[in-house]
Amino acid sequence: MATISQATDQAPVTPSLAGHRDANTRKLARMGWIFTAPALILIAAVTIFPIIYSVVMSLNNVSVSGNGFALNGFTGSNYSLVFGNSTWRYALGFTVLYTVVTVVVELVLGTLIALVLERLAAGRGWMMALLLIPWSMITVINAELWSYIFNPTYGAMQEIFGAVGLGHPNFLGTPTPAIASMMVADIWKTTPFVAIIVLAGLVMLPGDIYEAAEIDGSSGWDTFWRITVPLLRPTLALAVMFRVLQAFGLFDLPYVLTNGGPGTATTSLAVLGYQAMFKNLSFGPGAAVATTTALLVLLGCLISLRTFRVQVGKENA
Amino acid sequence: MRNRKRTGWHRVINGVSISTFFVALFIGLPLYWIIASSFKTPVSLGTSPPQYFPNPVSTTNYQQAFSQYNFGVYFRNSLIVTLIATAIVLAVGTLAGYGLGRLPMRGKFSLMVTLLMISVFPEIALIAPLYLLLRNLGWLNSFQGLIIPYAAFNLPFAIWILRNYFLSIPKEMEETGRIDGASPLRTVWEIILPQALPGLFTAAIFCFTACWTEFLMALTFNSANNYRTIPVGIAEFGTVFTVPYGTIFAASVVAVVPIGILVFIFRKFVISGLTSGAVKG
Repeated sequence: MATISQATDQAPVTPSLAGHRDANTRKLARMGWIFTAPALILIAAVTIFPIIYSVVMSLNNVSVSGNGFALNGFTGSNYSLVFGNSTWRYALGFTVLYTVVTVVVELVLGTLIALVLERLAAGRGWMMALLLIPWSMITVINAELWSYIFNPTYGAMQEIFGAVGLGHPNFLGTPTPAIASMMVADIWKTTPFVAIIVLAGLVMLPGDIYEAAEIDGSSGWDTFWRITVPLLRPTLALAVMFRVLQAFGLFDLPYVLTNGGPGTATTSLAVLGYQAMFKNLSFGPGAAVATTTALLVLLGCLISLRTFRVQVGKENA
Repeated sequence: MRNRKRTGWHRVINGVSISTFFVALFIGLPLYWIIASSFKTPVSLGTSPPQYFPNPVSTTNYQQAFSQYNFGVYFRNSLIVTLIATAIVLAVGTLAGYGLGRLPMRGKFSLMVTLLMISVFPEIALIAPLYLLLRNLGWLNSFQGLIIPYAAFNLPFAIWILRNYFLSIPKEMEETGRIDGASPLRTVWEIILPQALPGLFTAAIFCFTACWTEFLMALTFNSANNYRTIPVGIAEFGTVFTVPYGTIFAASVVAVVPIGILVFIFRKFVISGLTSGAVKG
């Protein structure tokens, strides 16, 4: 079973006589670096330099003038300002809650959908195509769609809630419903993506194990938990990781759907960082928010890898 | 596909088909709502209860999107930025993917892990320095100001996918080329590349989708009306007082068309990209 843990060099075997690489190998290696250089230079220019600069900014007194920023010496005050700020602490809590809830719901729903589609005899291709549409949709459009559906006066959701006798909540105008509405929009767009990943993982599972389980009289529920889930672990880990990373950088949806509101109820870390930098021109604290978010993303990444006991390393799991 | 006993598979109505129906409904209804709303008149967009079928069917929103809201310009900008960024990613990514996949470079593993780490970095962490950089270059509100960051951000994943495809091609193929005395560049072009075509499709689709939908950088770097891409354009349709949903949805339908067609045609590659390309080492 292929896993992300195999993501290593399997290519041209390292010569066993280490250190004595023949001229041809050296020539090919040089070729490799020449081939790789354009990509590395481009990536470094656009990502590595800004990452470093971002960290530097977050540790400096940044002042904004007509023609750019100026760094006015080292300070830790950006971070203490951010950590002491209740809006930041709320945004952190909101982003974590949002990430956990959407990822868990999407994983469960996506797995259920995958299990159904796996048994679908006809029309699977069409269903796959349908599943890919939300995935490829511009998030801004998704946000506009749900802001129309959740509109307090003429939204379709008002009608649905009214018909079921749940009254007429102001979905986007009150904090808790606004958070829930945003999660619904995210779940609609992203569950299909999770379903496709899980379905592809399911299809790759070896069939003989299931025959053996059936002969042993294992129930469907037992088979699912004891065979399917463990075998799917690498696939699930991959889906979770993709999603955690994406959800933690949440920006487009709140920016368009609620503009972070009502109040700051749906202000994610990315929205807060953006507002600090480009609305209030507080680039130092903004950079501190951004850097902290990036570190938390890396942390989240490591935690999800550990939870699923998948290692990006040189062993075969 | 594994073989399992399907009880009652011959019946059309069963648990699977009913569940599938609900899944299709869950995904399809909001999509229907975008399309239906895009054909409603401003008055019928605001009725409560909502109109379930547009009556009268009107194409005013489509005309307005292009005439009043500059959607044609945004569409063109998105197309230029996305196509060029994707072309750069494929060209540069193929070379790098080949080098990392097939040539005996040292430190390859650390390089791949570094690339992976970079590709997960949230945009928000890079946006301010990039803004400053582009500003100093005079590249705010320009096409290259988006093309180059888009290319760089999408390269790691593309390299990863392409490298995996290159790895799966039998080694003998390029040895043939080497014996014939072809240069490595020619070996890639004539022997390896045709084999890696599915990988190129996959990388292209992912890059195209990511560039087409990107919002934060486009919003920050290209705010001038003439350089806005579709996501920024649509987000700015509304004002504090009114949100012209009809026009937004008409523009949305038009924006979904190219990528919808692309994804539909190449859905096999998208799916293999989401799985083998990313999962398989």
